[in-house]
Amino acid sequence: MIAMNDMLWIMPAAPFAGFLVLALAGSRLPRKWIAAVGAGSVGLSMFAALFAGCSFMSAPPGMHAYVQVLRTWIDVAGFSPKIAFYLDPLSVIMVLVMTVVGFLIHLYSAGFMRDDEGYARFFAYMNLFVGSMLTLVLAEDLLLLYLGWEGVGLCSYLLIGFWYKDEVNGYAARKAFVVTRVGDTAFAIGLFLLYSNLGTLQIQELMYRAGQQWAPGSVLAVAAAALLLGGAVGKSAQLPLQTWLPDAMAGPTPVSALIHAATMVTAGVYLIARTHVLFTLAPAVQAAVAVIGAATLLLAGFSALVQSDLKRVLAYSTISQIGYMFLALGVGAWSAAIFHFMTHAFFKALLFLGAGMVIISLHEEHNMFKMGGLRTQLPLVYRTFVIGALSLSALPLLTAGFYSKDLILWEVWSSKSGGPLLWAAGLAGALLTSLYSFRMVFITFFGEAKTKAGGKPGMSMSVPVVILAVLSVAGGFVEVPVHFFTGFLAPAFPPVQSANKAAGEIILQIIAGIVSVSGIVLAWFLFLRSPHYDKTLSQSGFGSLVHRLWFAGWGFDRLYDVLIIKPFLWAAKVNRDDFIDLIYLGVVWTSAGINRFLTFTQSGKVRWYVTGVAIGAIVILGIVVLL
Amino acid sequence: MSASDITALLPIITPAIASVLVMMVIAFRRNHALTAALTTGGLVIASSMLLVMLPLLPRQVTPLIFVDRYAFFFMGLFFAASFFVVLLSYGYFAARPGRHDEFYVLLLIATFGSAVLAASSHFVSFFLGLELLGISLYSMIAYQRTDRYGNEAGIKYLVLAATSSAFLLFGMALVYAQLGTMQFTRIAVEAAALSVSSSLPLLAGFALIIVGIGFKLALVPFHMWSPDVYEGAPAPVSAFIATVSKGAVFVLLLRYFSLVDIHRFPAIVTVFTIIAIASMLIGNLLALAQNNIKRILAYSSIAHLGYVLVAFIAGGPAAITAASYYLAAYFVTILGAFGIISVLSSAGSGGRDADALDEYRGMAWHRPWLAGMLTLVLFSLAGIPLTAGFMGKFLVISAGAGSTLWLLLVVVAVSSSIGLYYYLRIITVLYTRVPAQVPEKRETPAAGPRLSLSGGTALVVLAVLLIWLGVFPSPLLRLIKATAEHLIY
Repeated sequence: MIAMNDMLWIMPAAPFAGFLVLALAGSRLPRKWIAAVGAGSVGLSMFAALFAGCSFMSAPPGMHAYVQVLRTWIDVAGFSPKIAFYLDPLSVIMVLVMTVVGFLIHLYSAGFMRDDEGYARFFAYMNLFVGSMLTLVLAEDLLLLYLGWEGVGLCSYLLIGFWYKDEVNGYAARKAFVVTRVGDTAFAIGLFLLYSNLGTLQIQELMYRAGQQWAPGSVLAVAAAALLLGGAVGKSAQLPLQTWLPDAMAGPTPVSALIHAATMVTAGVYLIARTHVLFTLAPAVQAAVAVIGAATLLLAGFSALVQSDLKRVLAYSTISQIGYMFLALGVGAWSAAIFHFMTHAFFKALLFLGAGMVIISLHEEHNMFKMGGLRTQLPLVYRTFVIGALSLSALPLLTAGFYSKDLILWEVWSSKSGGPLLWAAGLAGALLTSLYSFRMVFITFFGEAKTKAGGKPGMSMSVPVVILAVLSVAGGFVEVPVHFFTGFLAPAFPPVQSANKAAGEIILQIIAGIVSVSGIVLAWFLFLRSPHYDKTLSQSGFGSLVHRLWFAGWGFDRLYDVLIIKPFLWAAKVNRDDFIDLIYLGVVWTSAGINRFLTFTQSGKVRWYVTGVAIGAIVILGIVVLL
Repeated sequence: MSASDITALLPIITPAIASVLVMMVIAFRRNHALTAALTTGGLVIASSMLLVMLPLLPRQVTPLIFVDRYAFFFMGLFFAASFFVVLLSYGYFAARPGRHDEFYVLLLIATFGSAVLAASSHFVSFFLGLELLGISLYSMIAYQRTDRYGNEAGIKYLVLAATSSAFLLFGMALVYAQLGTMQFTRIAVEAAALSVSSSLPLLAGFALIIVGIGFKLALVPFHMWSPDVYEGAPAPVSAFIATVSKGAVFVLLLRYFSLVDIHRFPAIVTVFTIIAIASMLIGNLLALAQNNIKRILAYSSIAHLGYVLVAFIAGGPAAITAASYYLAAYFVTILGAFGIISVLSSAGSGGRDADALDEYRGMAWHRPWLAGMLTLVLFSLAGIPLTAGFMGKFLVISAGAGSTLWLLLVVVAVSSSIGLYYYLRIITVLYTRVPAQVPEKRETPAAGPRLSLSGGTALVVLAVLLIWLGVFPSPLLRLIKATAEHLIY
């Protein structure tokens, strides 16, 4: 058998190679070739990941991890970050999900972007993204992880602003970049803190040293964990840095599916799971993770309930679902968070791709209220979209979403750091989730048709959607009934600290199931059977106020505008012509003045030049004689 | 004189023989390509002779010449630079009317002179080498006889160089009068034995030698000739002045004042410090508002020699390494710069060189490769990382820091940032879009002819070297440590 730990590099290298080919020669290649290179490179990396995953499961390595050291980047005074890849159960799951979903979305994009003039540019960016993302999850060293982290941030920026000719898209891209930058800065400071105190950035060694040197709850551990949490919050669009994600929907829909639903936005979840030892050492920060998760999932759930743009509903839903993952991380249910990451990647990618097909066949129509009745016009899209929505709403027993969400709710309830309050938040969120999911389904696909759909999606778009629909259902059965998934992840994470394991899991499952189904029924009642209730509610005085508040994502944008942006711009304006500038202006004036004087000496007259030589000689002689 | 003495001299003799040979071939058959090919061959053979000579080093051949690894390294550098100048000259002169064959004879003699300077250990060989170089240059500068500016530049250089040679000779005479010897090693020994109070004539002699050398290196205040000469001379000749001519004199300066330890004479160190500071600042300040690229390069060259002088003042092995690396990097960069000018100037029939900044406006949009190369060259001159110039400047600064020359280093930093202004100014000109104009624009050299094969090859090789030296400095550093650094042992 080929030694698998020597092949890890292929996973990130293949998309990077694809990026290089497309970036250098893309404009000269025919479209078929571009798609072949773009999707093929990710496909290659998917096969490498499948191969790695299979051999990892069939013959688990000692210490439950493979390491491939490619080379040392620099080696200065004991600081020798290595370019090395680390494959343990956590990264196996991550790369499998990323490459499979990534490949399907690339395939879909080949059809979706068919008529776009920036075809090669699109695939180049997408390949660069997949390469960076795989670097991020495979990195053995936090520095390399940070490189991938910044790489995906860059690609997110480039792809949100992909249609850069529209100023709005450029603004959305900048907003995403700047807001996540706030988190990235915290993350970078966290890296400095970790390195200066523990002397390494190699993740496993770092975790070991942290456990040895830092007492639980010590100031340094809390600070380090809080700074990493800052990074995670920015990347994963959690409170208070969630404002960029809804605007990020300005990018092409495959981008929203890949980057802003399935992979990049979950990088924060991965980071916390990867450095879970630090968070265990800082219980206060870990509690904050849970609270942030619970608050985010509720706030975003309410916002999703009132949106009219199909993609914005999905964006708020993504924020809310990542909130679930944070909630799970916060109570120490690491495996449950990763499980939900996986199922979410399947059904959210599915929903986005379905939304993309709806939007493209309605000629760039995003407003749900102008859709309607698509059930008969786009039957395939309708069926798969409903499967995705059912999985998102966690329909009991059948869907993957149910098993992952149920696992989270159960562990939040039973964990020592969880409790009924957080559980109740999660349960309320579940009701909201099924409510907004089926509001979306009923408004879009039922009722009377308001716009005529044109054209059927091609094979390259239908096939990925069908596969994702299958995964959205089947994905749950890796855990139930045999607990394969958590068993596989067990070596990577400590078990959940249970407080009241005795209380029947089955009862809670039934409650969760009832809540989920009742949400769907409520949605049917409010949005399909008697929509006038919804109308009267949202048009009443208080109702319209709440509606507007939720619609604007709880007014965070306005709050930040008043609190941060306006004062900052004001300060910048006030300081524009301050006295410090005079120093630099002084340098400029002096230089220009001397230049004018010196230019005068360059008269072009030989006698003048000879005089210069003579004076120089006299001065030098003078110095020599006098000193 | 034994056979091994002759072998040791072969790299110096070969260019001389080649010049005679080329001259005789010209008498029978005038063919530009043939002459250029012979010249190239001569330089290649001279370079290979270096390897033949290598096992015999170090060796004193007559009191005049001392061939050692230091000379080995720099002769190699000079031959390589001359090689590139030949490549550039061929394309440049081929596009111009008239006979060009004698130019290569002069070039070979000048190269011969530079090789003599690299191995000189005596005032006589010093002066001979200097004049071999100088006299060939007078005619090379004015080689385009019908060009008004070329003639003006040639005559200016002749008059001023003669003046400076007079200072130099007088300085040598003073040293000889005081010590009774003209051999460097003996001067070093005798000067060390001299008490400071009785060494005034010696110091005066040194001061006058500095005047002579300062002129050739165009250091402030002996710099005023250089912009006029750079502007008037054909572009390949300007390249030769900036590289081989200045390099050879600097190599001699380094050898001479390393043997005669300048740090024993605080006054001399002070003089060099003042000259270095003045050169860095004034060179860069003069270039600020200049609109002629050749003049800008002349001013920038003044500043760059000031930077190398910092390494020279620092002294010690690190300084020799730094100076050698800096010179090599500067050679590559400035050859690239003048190479681009030569290539662009190949257009006109006996016209002026493409040296006005306006002619470069928007070049990036119709000649992207050349503009990219020029950008690279300017980055290297400014010392931006990943280019040869950055590594050179880094080594100079680290050598200066090693000898705690803080004042000089502050000036290096300040003047480099002033310099950044005019380098970046050229780059912005390159990338400014010119509004669509009437077809007249085609006549500007920027939209001129295709690259000649020789010029194009030279530019590609130089570009590769430029980045290679900036990214992988260690091979050249190893070479320098194995060769040039042996000066002080």
